[in-house]
Amino acid sequence: MSLPVDQGGPQGAPLLTIRGLRTYFYTESGVAKAVDGVDLDIAQGEVLGLVGESGSGKSVTALSILRLIPDPPGRIVAGEILYKGRDLLTLSWEEIREIRGNEISMVFQEPMTSLNPVFTIGMQVTEVIQAHQKVSRQEAYRRAVEILTEVGIPEPEKRMKQYPHHFSGGQRQRVMIAIALVLNPSLLIADEPTTALDVTIQAQILDLMMEMKERRAGASILLITHNLAVVAETCDRVAVMYGGKIQEVAAIDDLFRAPFHPYTVGLLGSIPSVETKARRLTVIPGSVPDILHLPVGCKFVTRCPYAFEPCPDIEPPLIEDAPGHWVRCHLYPHGGTPAVPREPDPSTSSGSSRAQSRDERLAPPPSGTRT
Amino acid sequence: MSTPEPALDDLTHVPPDLAASMLPPSVTTTPPPESLVAKRLRKFRRLKRGYFSFLLVTIAYALSFFLPLIANNIALLVRYNGSYYVPLFHYRGAAEFGQNAFGDPDYRALKQQFAGARQGNWVLMPPIPYGPNESLLDLPGSPPNAPSAAHPFGTDDRGRDVLVRLAYGFNISLTFALLVTLVGNMTGIAVGASLGYFGGRVDIFGQRGIEIWSSLPFLYVVIIISSVIVPIYLPGRYQLMQPSLWLLVVILAAFDWMGITYYIRGEFYREKAKDYVGAAIATGVSEPGIMFRHILPNALTPVVSFAPFEIVANISALVALDFLGFGLPAPTPSWGELIGQGMENLTKWWLVFYPLGVLFLTLLLVVFIGEAVREAFDPKEFSRLR
Repeated sequence: MSLPVDQGGPQGAPLLTIRGLRTYFYTESGVAKAVDGVDLDIAQGEVLGLVGESGSGKSVTALSILRLIPDPPGRIVAGEILYKGRDLLTLSWEEIREIRGNEISMVFQEPMTSLNPVFTIGMQVTEVIQAHQKVSRQEAYRRAVEILTEVGIPEPEKRMKQYPHHFSGGQRQRVMIAIALVLNPSLLIADEPTTALDVTIQAQILDLMMEMKERRAGASILLITHNLAVVAETCDRVAVMYGGKIQEVAAIDDLFRAPFHPYTVGLLGSIPSVETKARRLTVIPGSVPDILHLPVGCKFVTRCPYAFEPCPDIEPPLIEDAPGHWVRCHLYPHGGTPAVPREPDPSTSSGSSRAQSRDERLAPPPSGTRT
Repeated sequence: MSTPEPALDDLTHVPPDLAASMLPPSVTTTPPPESLVAKRLRKFRRLKRGYFSFLLVTIAYALSFFLPLIANNIALLVRYNGSYYVPLFHYRGAAEFGQNAFGDPDYRALKQQFAGARQGNWVLMPPIPYGPNESLLDLPGSPPNAPSAAHPFGTDDRGRDVLVRLAYGFNISLTFALLVTLVGNMTGIAVGASLGYFGGRVDIFGQRGIEIWSSLPFLYVVIIISSVIVPIYLPGRYQLMQPSLWLLVVILAAFDWMGITYYIRGEFYREKAKDYVGAAIATGVSEPGIMFRHILPNALTPVVSFAPFEIVANISALVALDFLGFGLPAPTPSWGELIGQGMENLTKWWLVFYPLGVLFLTLLLVVFIGEAVREAFDPKEFSRLR
């Protein structure tokens, strides 16, 4: 099938392709469109960062990939997630269970609660192996010891017999990584893996993840975080999410050097830097809009300093404004057509938009445009 | 510059013990692997009252399975005309031992007869040579007979030894209560787990169904069922094989499982939202694996803490049913039936005092166990107990 968007990774053919993913939560107070039309490619062997504020839908996107959305209240209402040519959203529960932990695995935010308190570490590591492969207990044990050694747990034989409460937060996250990687999955989804850890441990865990990825040729990582420093250090490409939609996708250097979307500009502006002499950090005014009442047009319109006439009413499409650099913003018009297609159209993506320089478009806004 | 100043040397000198205390604590002392269960068991053992009650009840219950060897009117071993007989396991008629009677031999009479005859024959009787269903009609006066040296708890209105019947009744009561608790809890856990895990429509309709079921009056249903199905007593069989016992277990369990479903449902609702469940699902563990291997062990706290009290309730339920005459069929040694006799013969104090006393003591001990179990499962370290 022809894909409407090929965001293209460093090595071309995507391992995972998300198209038009919509995951809604049906609550008593209304429908929360946590993920509302996400298009994303993850290439083989790349580390893709997915950044955004709390409530931007990045975790829900990740959970949707493995179909871990609690139903009710959540439901994946539309879209497709192609993994190695198979649509994960149409697989049976048995088939998706085979994928989980085996082909695609996940590391969660909270290492302190992600391990079952009543089982030993050894039981939890071997369980994954035995859930997917018919191996003897001795073989599973041997491989569990091996992977624990690999993730840097000292005295693994002894630690196998211990319970989660004998492990520190960093060690537990190491165990979680071991569980996630023991079957050599092609894709590791790391949902804020370092958020709950203290700073010194964060770096160790990130290093460990990258090291483990290097040892597994062709393995990809989807790293979900709100920490741009983590992204800068580890990722090949970055996708910025806001209001349930991808707002900007770019290679790491492009994004940090020349961000397109006003939201990304705001995010980068709010990071303290040793180079600038600014005494105060710039902040993005306002807060994340209520997920039950998102703006009709651009989701960022309520906080955007550059918002102009079409923004509140018309949703901009995701267009490729520079090679490999996609943005969803009216500041980057697409083929000059004001009528906005629901799905981005690659044929009209570039062209006249480059006529105007990015700096001109992101010039300081006239006063009074802030809402 | 070549040698440091003596004063500076003094300043930088640190006493060795202080230096040792500044070192990080030894990293080799990793805690011994102790599961939560082991921790709670250790705590339970520290609670003396509950722990000794547990030992006492367990030992008494274990011994009660050997009651046919301890209190019985059938001889353990008979030596007669040069051969040995074990009548407990192989039935012998009275005529086989030269008694001029049909049916069961009277082993106590046989023992005296052999002892008097001095022909090398002898009879080994159990320490308490009276059976639970044996009417001792040769005692002076008419039953119920007051306590005496041979029958410290007296006899009941059919001349049966009260002590022996209470002892057999202990085994039946506890077996019955354990079976009802087991069957009821297994049903309750299965239902509660499904309600809590699947939620949604399963939960709503399941709960309404449980509410309807629990509004059925338990006693009436039991009375109706026992009037339709005639309870049968198979003589000479071991109590566990009595069909009426199992029938009663099923009926009682059918009304006993609802309570625990609410707790298990709640536990499952809480546990399934926890990260470790999500993590287990994300690693591809199957649904039954998630429910019963991952969530259930974390949801068992209410089951274990309620179990002793459920046993208390079920012992009382059997006593109540027996008291009313809807329980186990007639000759079964049961506490409720003895208490009923006590009510009919209020002047015979041993028929009131001993059955009620034994019932009270048993319930008290089991409550002590329950109290200690609850305490052992309490995450708070300090409390009034102990």
